[in-house]
Order: sequence, then C-alpha cells, then structure tokens
Amino acid sequence: MRAGQAEPGPLATTNPDERRRPPPRAPGIDPDQSKGWIKRAFPLLKAHRGVFMAAFAASLVTVVAMVLFPLWLGTAIDEALAAPSGQRDSLARFVWILVAITVVGVVAAYFSRYLTLRMAYSLEFDLRTLLYRHLSTLSASFFDRVRTGELVSRANSDVRAVQMLLAFGPMLIVQFGMFFLALYFMLTIDVGLTLVALLSLPAVFVIGLTMRKHMFPVSWLVQSRLAEIATIVDENVSGAQVVRVFGAERRQIGVLARAAQRLRWASMRLVRIRATFGPLMQNVVRVGEAAVLLYGGFRVLDGAIGPGDIIVFLTYLVMLQAPFAMLGLLMMLAQRAAASAHRIYEVLDERPEIADRPGAFDLPVCRGEVELRDVRFSFGSDQRVLDGVTLRVPAGHTVAFVGATGSGKTTIAQLIPRFYDVDRGAVLLDGHDVRDLTLRSLRQHVGVCFEEPFLFSASIRDNIAYGTPGASDDDVVAAAKVAGAHEFITQLAFGYTTVVGERGYTLSGGQRQRIAIARTVLVNPPILILDDATSAIDVQTEQRIHDGLRQLMHGRTTLIVAHRLSTLSLADRVVLLEGGRIAATGTHQELLTTEPRYAAALAHVTDEERIRAAQLERERTVTPDVEWRPIDPDHLDEEEML
Amino acid sequence: MLPGGGGGTMRRPSGSMSGDVPPELRDQLDGLLADEPEHPEPDVVFSRSDYDRRPLTLRRFLAPFKWALVGCVGLVIVETIAMRIGPLLTQLAIDHGMGLKDLGGGEVTGSRGVLVAICLTYLGFVVVAILVSRWRTLWTGIVGERLLYALRVRVFSHLQRLSQDFFSRQKKGTLISRMTNDIEHLQGLLHDGLAQLLVQALTLVVLGAQLFWFSAELALISFLVVIPVMVALTWWFRGVSQRGYLVVRDRMAEVLTHLSESLSGARVVAAHNRQQRNVADHVDVTRRYRHANYYTARIAAIYGPGSEAVGRLTVVVVLLLGGWMVLRGDMRVGELAGFLLAITTFFAPMQQMAQLYNAYQQGQAGITKLRQLLMTEVTVMEDPHAYPLPDIDGRVTLDRVSFGYDVDNPVLRNVSLEIPPGETLALVGPTGAGKSTIAKLVTRAYDPTSGRVLLDGHDLRDVRLDSLHQRMAVVPQEPFLFSMSLRDNIAFARPDAADVEVERTARAVGLGDFLDRSAAGIHAVVHERGASLSAGERQLVALARALLAAPRVLVLDEATSSLDLRTERQVERALDVVLTDRTAIIIAHRLSTAMRADRVAVVDDGRILEIGTHDELAAKGGRYAEMYATWDS
Repeated sequence: MRAGQAEPGPLATTNPDERRRPPPRAPGIDPDQSKGWIKRAFPLLKAHRGVFMAAFAASLVTVVAMVLFPLWLGTAIDEALAAPSGQRDSLARFVWILVAITVVGVVAAYFSRYLTLRMAYSLEFDLRTLLYRHLSTLSASFFDRVRTGELVSRANSDVRAVQMLLAFGPMLIVQFGMFFLALYFMLTIDVGLTLVALLSLPAVFVIGLTMRKHMFPVSWLVQSRLAEIATIVDENVSGAQVVRVFGAERRQIGVLARAAQRLRWASMRLVRIRATFGPLMQNVVRVGEAAVLLYGGFRVLDGAIGPGDIIVFLTYLVMLQAPFAMLGLLMMLAQRAAASAHRIYEVLDERPEIADRPGAFDLPVCRGEVELRDVRFSFGSDQRVLDGVTLRVPAGHTVAFVGATGSGKTTIAQLIPRFYDVDRGAVLLDGHDVRDLTLRSLRQHVGVCFEEPFLFSASIRDNIAYGTPGASDDDVVAAAKVAGAHEFITQLAFGYTTVVGERGYTLSGGQRQRIAIARTVLVNPPILILDDATSAIDVQTEQRIHDGLRQLMHGRTTLIVAHRLSTLSLADRVVLLEGGRIAATGTHQELLTTEPRYAAALAHVTDEERIRAAQLERERTVTPDVEWRPIDPDHLDEEEML
Repeated sequence: MLPGGGGGTMRRPSGSMSGDVPPELRDQLDGLLADEPEHPEPDVVFSRSDYDRRPLTLRRFLAPFKWALVGCVGLVIVETIAMRIGPLLTQLAIDHGMGLKDLGGGEVTGSRGVLVAICLTYLGFVVVAILVSRWRTLWTGIVGERLLYALRVRVFSHLQRLSQDFFSRQKKGTLISRMTNDIEHLQGLLHDGLAQLLVQALTLVVLGAQLFWFSAELALISFLVVIPVMVALTWWFRGVSQRGYLVVRDRMAEVLTHLSESLSGARVVAAHNRQQRNVADHVDVTRRYRHANYYTARIAAIYGPGSEAVGRLTVVVVLLLGGWMVLRGDMRVGELAGFLLAITTFFAPMQQMAQLYNAYQQGQAGITKLRQLLMTEVTVMEDPHAYPLPDIDGRVTLDRVSFGYDVDNPVLRNVSLEIPPGETLALVGPTGAGKSTIAKLVTRAYDPTSGRVLLDGHDLRDVRLDSLHQRMAVVPQEPFLFSMSLRDNIAFARPDAADVEVERTARAVGLGDFLDRSAAGIHAVVHERGASLSAGERQLVALARALLAAPRVLVLDEATSSLDLRTERQVERALDVVLTDRTAIIIAHRLSTAMRADRVAVVDDGRILEIGTHDELAAKGGRYAEMYATWDS
C-alpha cells in the first residue's frame, strides 16, 4: 500500500462488505409487542415446522410403542403361558409382535430424539444469529447504556431457556399423551384396578411440586452464599498484598470460615428438604405397586384378570411416574422461558437510534471538508456536552482539539462518523448533512482511531486488516511501518500471526494503540480522526508516527484530539474547547502567545494524559507485575520514563 | 462523564448478582433466615510453617469420617434391598397368593391371606426404604458439609500462606475457581454422587441376586447377552460423547468470544463498516457450534434408544426362553414375571452409573487441582526460630542484594542501599527497571537470591512476619478496598482501633468531606471495588489505613490513576501527613513527588544509577537530569 499517497487510495474502496455477504436473513420474531411471547416466536417456529412435525410424529410412535410393549408382554404371559393348557396361544407369535414393536419403537425413538435435539439447536442458532444481527444494527448510545457482560449472558442463558421450552415442551406434552393411552388400556383391562394403581400418581405430582416450592428459596440462599464465598476469595486474591502487609491473614480466614458456616447451614437446609421429599418421591409409587399386588391378586383369584395383567399394571406404574414428575419440570421451564424471552425481546425490540434515513444516499467521492454548524449535544438528559459549536475544516487541513476532560473534544470526534446524532445544528461532510448520507459510505470516508484501542482475538495481521480484509500482506506491513508498529511486531515470536486480544498475547497500551493506528492507516480514509490515539506511545515513537502520517495527511483532512506540544505543532489550526464551546482557535504559536487559557489547559492536560497513559497500560496487562514483560527497547513508554 | 471518552469507562462486566432478592422470594427467605441460629465463632488455626502437607486424595479427605461412612454404606445396603425387593414379592404374590404355582392345574389354590401378608410386607419395606433413605441422605449431607467446610478453610488458609509472587503468577480466575467450582464439584459428589454410585451398584447386585434366585440359567443367559452389549455401547458412548462435548465447549467459547468482542468493540466495528461481515462471521462460528451440537444430538439419540432397545430385546429373549421353561414346567409363571420385572429395571442403574462416573471424575479432577494448590510451597517461609522484631527506628539497609524471578534473568544486581530513619526516598526509572522489586524485597514479599535486607540491622528472614508487618505498611498503587465499612477498611491493620481514632485518622488524610457527606459516616459500606468512592477518595482511604497502622517504615507505590487537581492536592497533603516521622520508600511516577522526597534514586536495569537529592541530581547532568528535561518539555 502506498501510505504516502495523497488522495484516498484504491484501498479505500475495498469495502469489507463486498467481500462477504451474510447469508439470507432468518425469520425474526413477530414485531407486534402486544402479543404473548410464544405467539411472537411463531415466525421462528414456523421455519422449522417440517422438522417439528417429523419429531412430533416420531415421538407419538415412540410413545405408542412404549405403551404397547408391556401390554403385549402381559398378554403373552396370560395367553401363551398362564392360560389353561388347551387354550394356549403360540408363544412365538407374541415374540415376533414384541420384536416388531421394539424395532419400530427404537427407530422412532432415534428420530424423535435426534430431531427434537436438532430442532432445539437450530432454534438456538436462529436466536443467536438473530440477536447478533440485531445488536450489530444498534448504535453507540445503546452500548453506553447496557453492559456487555449482561448482553452476553442474555445471549446465553436466556437463549438456552427459551430454546429448551420451545423444543422440549411439545415433547413433554407427547409424553403426557402416553399417560392417556396407557390409561385407556388399563381401563379396558380392569377399571377398579386402574383406580387403585393410579392413586399414587397424583401424590408423585404433589410431592414434586411441594419439594420444588420448598427448595426454591433455599437453593437461592445457597447460591447467594456460594457467591459470598466467591467474593471473599476474589477480594483476598486481588487484595493479597494488602492482607499480607497488614498481617490480616488469620482474620481473613475467620471471615471465610464464618461465610463457610453460613453456607453450610444453608446447604444443610437443602439436604434436609431432599432427605424429606426425595425418598417419598421415589417410594410413593411402590405403595401403588403393593396395592396392585393386593387388589390385582384378588381380581386374579376372582378370575377377572390374568397374572400378565399384573405385570402390565406394574410396568405402567413405573412408566407413568415420569410424566407426572416432569409436569412440574415443564411448569418451571415455562416460567423460566417466559422471563428469558421477555429479556431477549427487550433487546430485539430496541430500535437503532442511528440508521439510514429514507432517501439517504452514498457519497462516492469525498473531498474531505468537515463542518460543524451550531452543534448542540447532550447524552440523555444530562448536562450539555456541546453547546453551540461552529467550525469549518477545509479539505486537507489538520485541526487539533485541546481541552480539559468533559470539554467535548471526544464528542466532536464521535459526531462526525455519526456514532451519535446532534441534538440541534448539523454536522456536514462536503456540504452534506451526515444524516443524509448512508452510514456505510460516511464511515468509509471517515477513519477514527480511539484512545482505547480495541483489538480482537485474532492475529495482528487480521487486526490491522480489520477494515480492509482483502489487503495484501505487503500493505499490512506498510501500514504497520507508518504506525511505528512493525519493529515490535517482528520481534514477537510469531510476528504478524501472533494472536492478540482477550484470548491472546497481551500487548502494552502503546503497542495496541500503534496497531489501531495501522488499522486506520490501512483503510486510508480521506478524513482521519485521531482521538487521543497516541496517548500511551512515547514521544520519540509518536514523532515518527506523525512523520509517516504527515505524508499521509497531505491532502487529507485530519482531526486530532491531543495534548502534546509536538503533536499540536503539526496542526494547521488548534481549537481550544471549554465547557462545550470553542474558547479560542488559532495556530499553536498564536494561541500560546495570546491565549492564557490555552497554556493553562496544556499544563493541566499533560498531567492528565500521562496519568491516563499509565492507566491504559495497567488496565490491559493481565499480570500486574510489569517486570514479567520483556522490555521492548524500541518503545519505552512515557510514564515509564517518569 | 463522556461515554467512550475516558478510556475504559464503558466496559466493566457485572460482578455478583447477589444482593437483589427477587420479590416473590423475600417472604420465604425471611422465614428461612429467622430459623438460622447464631453460628459459633469459628476457631481459626493459622500457622505459616506448621500445616498438613500430606497430598490431598479422596481417601485421605474422607478418612476423618471413616466410621460414619461405613455406617452410610450399611444404610445404603438396607435402603437398596428395601427399595428393590419388588420383583421378589411380586413373584411370591403370583405364585403363592394367586395360586399359579402349578400351571394348568385349573383350580385356584391361591389365598387372600397370603396376598394381604405380601402387601403388608411390601408396605413395610416401603416405610423402611423411606426412613433409611432419609437418614442416609441426612447423614451423608452432614458428613459432606463438615468435610467441605474443613476443606474450604484449609484451601483458603493455604492461599493466605502463599506469598505475593504466587498471586502475580496465577490468573485470578483460576484461583477463584479452585475455591468455587472445584469445591462445588466435590460437594455434588459428597452430597449425593458417591452414595448414589453405591446405591446404583448395589441395585445391580440386589436385582442380579433376584434374577439368579428366579432362574440361574436364565440369569446367566441374559447376562451374557446384556452385559457385553451394554458395556460396549456405554463405552462407545462415553468416548464419543466426551469428545463431542469437548468440541461443543470449544465452539461455544468461540461464539461467546466473537459476541463479546463484537459488543466491546462495537465502535471499532461500526467505524470500519464491519457489521455485515461480522454477522457473516458470527453466523459461521454459530453454525460450527450448531454442527458440533448436531453431532452430540446424534450420538445421544443412538445411545438412549439403543440401550432401551437392548433392554427390550433382552426382555423378549427372556420371555421366549423363560416361556419355554414355564411350559416345560421348569419355572413358575411368577418367577418369570418377577424375572421380567427385575430385568426391566436392570438397565437404568447401568446408565446412571455411567453418568455418575462423570461426576466422580469431575470430583477427582477437582481434588487433583486442589492437591496441586495445597502442595504449592510457601516461598517466603518463616524461620522456626524467628524472633519478634523489637521496636525499631526504621533504618532500611539493602546489602549487596540480587534478585531474579528466574535464575537467568536477574532483576536486581548487587544493589546496596541505606535509608536512614525518617528519610523519604523516591525510586524513579523506567518500567522493568526494578523499582517495585526493591519495594517488594523490603516488605519481604520475596526473599533476595543473594545479599541481605535489613531493618535496623535485623535480617528480615530472622524475624517473625507478623511482627515485621506491624512495623511496616504498604500503600499499593491501586488502592484495594474490601466490601466492608469504611471503618473496617481503614482499621484493617488494627481492627480493634476505637471509632474515634479511626475517624480522626480519616479526617487527618482529608476524608472529612466524605464523612460529612455520607449519612453513615465511617460506617458507610464501601461497595464492590470501592465503587461508591471516587478514585481520589479511595487513595485517601488507603493512606488512612497505612496511617492508622502507625508503621515505622512505609512503602508506597504512587498511584497513577486520574485525579482532578483538587483531589490530587488533597492526596498530596495526606501524603505529607502520612510520611511525617517515618522512613518511606516511594515508587514515584510524578516529578513533583520525586522533588518532594529527601533523596531520589534512579533505578535502571537492576541497578541504582544515581542517588542524591533532586537538586544534586538535576545539577549533575546525568540520567535524572535527562529524564527531568524530557519531562519538562
């Protein structure tokens, strides 16, 4: 890539989207928010109706086979074995029937189980991709509001809960069909015995329900006390140093022991509930068995039924216990799923605040003129961040913004690529209101480098080529050189293929910032915004980066949020912001001589910058002990130099 | 605050979920907690050198409750027999109660009396099963909870014994999961897992015995058919499912990483127009995840119905063979019926045991990890003959000290340094130069590889650690606050300090504003990570903590976090208060701090390059002057 090239290079047109298109959109949920949650999920379910029907049919067959097997077994005993010798049927006939039932049953069971699970996982897939797709349309203000961890957990446990119910609910209902089928056969054999036998089943249900009711608060308590222990351990690991130096080890053990006692008490409550209800649950059906033996025995003695029928009843009793025990589970699943669905829908119902307005057009070529026209902006109802800023940056100019924290510099940097929309006034690009342009073409022309450089868990190469996935390796290296990152990258054991990010190698703040700069350099946009993008980079390296950028900047509009004198002197114009207004503008020299507030602001921000750089450094390093990191001679961060 | 403007303000994953009780639970929980007795004061034994060093194994872990566990086994035997006696009673009922002893006789020889007796016996067994099962569950619960309590305290005590370098080497999450996940896996095992494993194994024995009782030949034949097939099937399933779930887990992690990174990096994604491509990528990883799930679905669908089919076919074989035997008169109908009932229930325990085995393995893995943790040697040992450090003036001496975390990479080389009582020494230099290592050696977070660190002439290795820590305080760079009251945080070193004294200290460092502002005063609870306090106030708390400890020597790693000017001045004033009349070593990040110190030592590459007052060094034109100049620009 030709980093020094003046006009937006050919790379700028390599839009990642043109290289990979997402697969066709899966059905979403019903947008009508007044409907119940299952109804709203209907379009999703409908897409799977084929699999669903097949799974349902297979389940039905499975259940019928399950019920028929003991029935024929009992009949076989009665008619081929227990009957008076003259009237005996051939045993072989029954054996064949039973084999047939088994074979049909097992095949159906395979399909029923496989298809049910498959459907569950397809639904999970749909929900996950639906959520992701939707999240990717939402704007910055949404992500300011919602915590990432929370969203990830929504996309996880909530999806799972909904998926479980939608997929398994119907199958559990089929299981209940088993009950009625078995009931029918039992009634045809002997009505009285049926009543005697089934007496225990409602007890199974009631005991299960009572147990769950008792367990719920106790297990909540156990969970919260486990969390308590985790918190104590967390604090003692994080604050190990404090505990050591103040000699509080014994006391902390006391704190933990106390929490462990509390946990033990709660756990014992749970054990007691299980000890009370568990054995009842397991054995109540045996009372039914005893009753069947007694009353069924009488009936056999009466000659009304055969001993095979006793076998049928006994087997059914065990079989039917399952759906009754599961009925409670189904209720719980449904409750949980409803709550989860509600949370998922909350995200899906979120409308993107920043979107292409109807009639938005692409800006094919961008000269690079940026204008702010009486811009007012506030986050939510909070105090005004920008209070009437008017500013014109001619194409090709470099403008630096200076000001204390909260003065609005970063906000300006975020309004131009339209991460937020202004409350009043307008941001214009080449004379077009940014709200009239398609987001895609706008952001294609505006490159932003943030102070906190987010790297993805991918190779350094892929991170640099994040905005231009089609870039050649040479281009990537060239961009890295401009950003002053090439040297340290080649010193890593795996060079450009080193995986970084949360799951990879930990780079220092300055190194990450340089990769982020390379990322933007590679895109080569006509408008470049550097939002404190070099704050953790030492002065010398920063100088070199700016030298590289200067060539790149030539003919390019550049907006810089910075505090270093060296950086500021690069700018054609410096804008001093104060409380959301422009306090003064002029060249660095002019302002230094004429504007006392400027000098004051500089003195203040340098301090702030250094502190921030150190903070950046610390935030990302996994081990707090910097000594562990090999020292990089090419880069000694400023804070390290005192 | 500007979103996204101030570095990492927007990303702070949510921590614990406790605290917010769901409203529908509140009443029930209140009732529950009303029952909770006052727990006795836990008795804590803590020694750095004298502790149980034997490797932790499941057997050794259970040993203290050997006899209780033997009792449990006895209960389990009774429980299992009582629960699984059904087929035998059914056989007796059919053959004797219903008079089907002799086939083809035609006449009814049964008796209602026998049936009633059998039914009552059955009910008796049910009652026994319920009672014994209850006792057993309670018993294993009590034993398990005692063991877990002891284990938690033991592991935590060992964590307290380990020195700082251990914590800087280990990932925090891993350590926490030792105390949470691993112990919880054991909990599952102890509460129910081990007992259930035994129950299921005994069920097989009890049912098998009944099968042999009904018909030895038939039992042998069905065992020959069933056991190899079931074992093979289960073996296959365990293998493939383990591999399958491993893949599922990995791909799940991929999905989550992609998701969480896309969310954390939402702005970068937007800035680079990557949304559509990322959707495609996400669809890809999710599809891979789905694919792995399909695989496990298939094997689960084969195993479940497959083993059921094996069971049913066995029943059919038994019916065929048993039927012939009945027709030949070698077997009674009841025996066949009992046999069929027993063999139908024979498969569930086998499947359950396969599952329980997983839990058992998890528990074992937990034990192994905990064993490794407990075996971690304490690097900063206390000499058995260590004496308590007497009152000292606070003279710190480093005598030809070298130190390296590993042998090849010395961090400090032959450093000698003498700090007279009452002096404030600032250490400056680049990261990795060895500043913080010097600080850590002085507080005895590590011991030097060679050379000595002395405090008023006492080698640190010769004195008792707790007495050393009474004379020395550390203020870490990142002030760490515990989630307890402000009072307890400040009085961390001296929990018995009077409230008045704590409050005086708090005001002395400049926390007066905060105290006046908050209704609870010093009893205000500091929330997770001290979030309710500002960065500056947290530093003040850390300083107050050190001040209240009244050490002779103070080691301070200067904070670098962002403070507004007013707070920064407050912190500086507090520092002045804290530093008065004591020896101090400050790892300085700010010029102003270095300037205020009595002397400055420039540390680089494991050596002290220059040492002297600020003015001397600045005038000298050496390294310090160089740093001073670039800083000033």
